[in-house]
Amino acid sequence: MNLRGTLPTLILESLEQEPNHGYSIAQGIKQRSRGVLDFKEGTLYPALHKLESDGLVESYEGAENGRPRRYYRITKDGHGMLAKDRAEWRQVSRAVTLILGKA
Amino acid sequence: MTTFNSTLEAWLKLATCGLSANSIARVRTEIQQHYESAVQASLARGATSEVADRAALASLGDARTSNQQYRKVLLTSSEARFLREASWESRALCSRSKWPFLIPAAGLCAAVVFFVRGEHSLAELLLLGMAGLALLFASPWLPIYTPARGRVFRCVRYTWLIALVALASEGQPWMFATLLSTLAWIESVQISLRRKLPVADWPKHLYL
Repeated sequence: MNLRGTLPTLILESLEQEPNHGYSIAQGIKQRSRGVLDFKEGTLYPALHKLESDGLVESYEGAENGRPRRYYRITKDGHGMLAKDRAEWRQVSRAVTLILGKA
Repeated sequence: MTTFNSTLEAWLKLATCGLSANSIARVRTEIQQHYESAVQASLARGATSEVADRAALASLGDARTSNQQYRKVLLTSSEARFLREASWESRALCSRSKWPFLIPAAGLCAAVVFFVRGEHSLAELLLLGMAGLALLFASPWLPIYTPARGRVFRCVRYTWLIALVALASEGQPWMFATLLSTLAWIESVQISLRRKLPVADWPKHLYL
């Protein structure tokens, strides 16, 4: 299934829970989707950089178990964008369900 | 260096091809941190070192696809060079020096002379050119510090430039096409820079 375009929203949702680094964001999405959404890291980081240049997330240097990691956190604009994306997704999801029927 | 480290090195080399030095440094650090986390997680699950390395590398995906993605969001080496080389122009443009106004003033005087002599088309061309130059030199004093105001200013500037190019290359379509394609190339690089850089990091000339 073509899920292009959903990655930024999923990243924002993941960061709404808590600030995190790239690896943990990828693992979180994979686990919460029960392995269905397994984005390659080579696409995850460009999406994170785009969100950062759009001012929706910000990054800072942190550490995990003594190892340096670049952490990301959602900004105020990011919260706004996530709320908008959620509303749009619910609307699209309802519309597609009306056509394809419930699973 | 182990085989897997050299494979990661090869992946990074492909994925960062054509990016600016700062972009390369950032991608390398982040991917190496990610790779390290992935290897540690696999080892904690009981995988052998070789399997952990292989799984971490596979999780990075195709390096060429990543390179295409990175080029869309991070500065390339040619864009970084464009930014560096444009800085002298921006310094000159945004210096708030009043001396450059002597050029449009002298041009205006020359236009009046040409008009009096009856060379109306040359006078019009000179007047249009100097009016645009005056606007360009006045830009540091104009309140252009938001992307929306920058768009308005650029619309005015490009209207002036296209009109000037059309007048200057009258009867020579090849010249019009060459000048227009140069303008289009410069603007396309600037559009890419505006898309990639956070607004807070825009140098003044990206607004103009």
